[in-house]
Amino acid sequence: MPKRRFNLFQFLLNNSTIVLFITVFVLFGLTSPRLVIEGIGLEFPRFWLPENMLNIIKQAAVFAGIIGVGMTFVLLTAGIDLSVGSNMYLSVVCAGLLMRSSGLEIIPALLVSIVVGTLFGAFNALCIVRLKIIPFMTTLATLVIGRGLGTALTESRQIDFPERMNAFGQTLLLGFIPMPIVVFGLVVLAAWFILTRTPFGRQVYAVGNDIEAAKKAGINTDRTLVLVYIISGFCAGLAGFILASQLGGRVDRSFGETREFDAIAAAVLGGTSLFGGVGNVFGTVIGALLIQMVGTGLQFNLVNLYLQPLVRALIIFLAIFFDSLREANLQKLKRRFIRPVESSGTTVPQPARME
Amino acid sequence: MRRFAIISLVLITALALGLVSTVRAQSDITICFGFQDLETEFWVAGHKAITETLRGQGIEVLEYNANEDPNRQLEQVRECIAQGVDGIIIIPQDGDSAVTIINEAQASDVPIAVFNRPPNDRSRGITVVADNVSATEQAVEFMAQQALVKWAVTGNTVQPLILVGALQDTNAIGRREGFFNVITRYSEKYPGLFAEPIEVATEWDAATALANLEAAITANPNVDFIFTSSDFLFPTIRSVLEPRGKWVPRGDANHVIMGGLDGDATACQLIDQGFVDATGVQDLFLEAELTMDRLLEAIANGETQPNEVLLDPGFALSAANIQFDRSDMWGCVLLDEGFLDQ
Repeated sequence: MPKRRFNLFQFLLNNSTIVLFITVFVLFGLTSPRLVIEGIGLEFPRFWLPENMLNIIKQAAVFAGIIGVGMTFVLLTAGIDLSVGSNMYLSVVCAGLLMRSSGLEIIPALLVSIVVGTLFGAFNALCIVRLKIIPFMTTLATLVIGRGLGTALTESRQIDFPERMNAFGQTLLLGFIPMPIVVFGLVVLAAWFILTRTPFGRQVYAVGNDIEAAKKAGINTDRTLVLVYIISGFCAGLAGFILASQLGGRVDRSFGETREFDAIAAAVLGGTSLFGGVGNVFGTVIGALLIQMVGTGLQFNLVNLYLQPLVRALIIFLAIFFDSLREANLQKLKRRFIRPVESSGTTVPQPARME
Repeated sequence: MRRFAIISLVLITALALGLVSTVRAQSDITICFGFQDLETEFWVAGHKAITETLRGQGIEVLEYNANEDPNRQLEQVRECIAQGVDGIIIIPQDGDSAVTIINEAQASDVPIAVFNRPPNDRSRGITVVADNVSATEQAVEFMAQQALVKWAVTGNTVQPLILVGALQDTNAIGRREGFFNVITRYSEKYPGLFAEPIEVATEWDAATALANLEAAITANPNVDFIFTSSDFLFPTIRSVLEPRGKWVPRGDANHVIMGGLDGDATACQLIDQGFVDATGVQDLFLEAELTMDRLLEAIANGETQPNEVLLDPGFALSAANIQFDRSDMWGCVLLDEGFLDQ
C-alpha cells in the first residue's frame, strides 16, 4: 500500500472553517484594544477576555445558534426553512400578549412561545408532506403568513414585556454563565444525541442522502420530514423567547427578520450541505460562533460602519469558498483512487469485470 | 310621446347623477394615507394625529400599511390614484422609494405630501421633516454640558458613543451629523474633554444594536456618554448597561450621560426617572398639522404638483426643562395618557 504523505494544503482545506475561525480569533485579538494589568504592566487583548468570549457565545446562541440547530435538521433532509424568523416573531408575540393581558408568568409564557413555534413547524410539515408543496415555497409563504399574523395581532405596534422578562434575560447560572448559553448547550447536546444515537437521527441522514432509497429501505420518510420541521419550529419558538428577554423585553415588527439567513449561514459554514445528508450540529455551533465573532471583532476594531457589512460578507464568502474547494478536491481524490495506485503514481490496468 | 318620456327620464337621471357627483366633489375629500409601518411609538402617534384630525374634519381617509415593503407601498399608491383620491400622504420606507412614489403621484396630477421621512430629492412634493441635525445638536449640547461638569469634577476624559441608525436613512445620517457637530465643537473648545467617539451600527434593529453595543462596551468599558439615534433603543441599552452596574440615575458616580432622539413615551419616563438626560424632540403635532394643512391647501387651490419643504426645528427635552416643556413633547402626552400600560 502506498505511503501517504502529510499534505498541509489538504489538511488546511479539510478543516477550512476551523482554520478560518482560529485565524479570525487570533487576528481580531491582536488588533483589539488592550487591558493593562496593573502592577506587572502586562497587556492583554480585550477581545480574548472571558467576558467577551461569553458575550460571543451568548449572542451566537440567540441570533443564529439555537435556530441554526433546528435548521441543521431540516438541511440534513435536503429541505429548507425560510420561516424561522417569522416563527420567532409570531411565537414571542403570542407569549407577550398573554403575559400582558393575563399576567402569565415567565415559564408558562416560554411554553406558549415553544408551543406556537412547534405548531408553526407542524403547519410547514403538513404543507410539505401532505400537500406536496416544496419546502422552499412552503416556508417562503409561511414567512409572510407568520409575520402578517404577528403584525395583525399587534396592529404592528411594539410589545413591551413586563419587568420580569428583563430579569429573566439577565439570569446567570453559577453566578457567571448567561442563561442563553445554558439553553444553547442543552439544545446542542440534545440535537447531537438525537442525530447520532437514535434511529431517527440515522433516518434524517438517510432521507437527505437519497429519499427514494430511504423509502425502499422501509423508512417512513413522511414521518421523518414532519419531525424535522417540528424540531425547527420548536427551536424558533424557544430562540424567539430567549432573544426577546435579551432585548430588554421589547419586541417590534422587525424582530427576527432575516434571522433565517444567519441560521442557514451558520449551518452551511459548519459543513452542512444544502443538498442534504451531510453535516452535524457541532459544525453549526462553529458556524454560528464564527459569524458572531466576525461582527464582534469588527466592532472591537472600530471598522468603518460602511465597510462592516462588506468585511462580514467577505469572510463568510471565504469560508463557503474554501468549503466548496474542499468538496471539489475530495471528489477529485475519490476519482483518483477508484483504481489501485502504484508507487510510481501510475494506475494499474484492471481486467474488465464480467457482469 | 313614449320616446320623449324615455329621453326625458334619461336626461333627468344623467343630470341628477352629474349634480350628485359635482356636490360630492365639492364637499367630499378623500385622502390616501400610506405608511410604512407603525412599529415605534412615534409612528403610532403620528398615524393617530393625522387620521383623527382628518376624519374630524369630515375627510375620508384610505389607510394603507406597506409593512416595510417599498414596492408594496408603490402599488398601494397606484391603487389610490386609480381610485381617484384627492391627495396622498405617505410615510415612506426610505428616501429612495419616496422619490419614486412622489413621481408616480405627480405624473397622475395628484398632490402628495411626505411625513417625517424625507425623500432623497426634496425638490418635488410637499416634504415635512424634522431638522434632525438641529434637534440632535440641541440634545447633545445638553449632554455635553453634563460631560463638562463631570470632567471638571473628575478630570477624566469622557468617552462618547453613538448608536447610528440605518445608513440609507437620511434621518439617521442627519442625527449622526448633529452628534459629531457638537462633539467636535466641544473637543476644539475643551481639549481633553472627549475621547474619539465610538460608532455602533444598529441598522434600526434592536438585535443588531444589542450585539454591537455589547461588543463596544466590552472593548471600551470606560464609555460614559451614549447617544442613541432613536429612543426605541433605550430598553436595549438598558439590557447592556444594567448587568455592568451602569444603568443608574443621575447623581450616581456610575451614571452614563445618556440621550436620544424622537421624544417618545419611554424617553419621557426615563428622563423622569433620571436614567436619561436629554432627548431631541421632533414636534410630531406640528409636523402632522403642517402636512395636513399644506396638502388640503393644495387640494383647495387645485395645485396638482405642489413642491415645498417644511421644516420642524425640533427642541430638546432635558432633565432641566422637563417640568416646563413636558406638555409640548408628544411622548410625555402619550405617557400621561397611559400609553406604556396598554
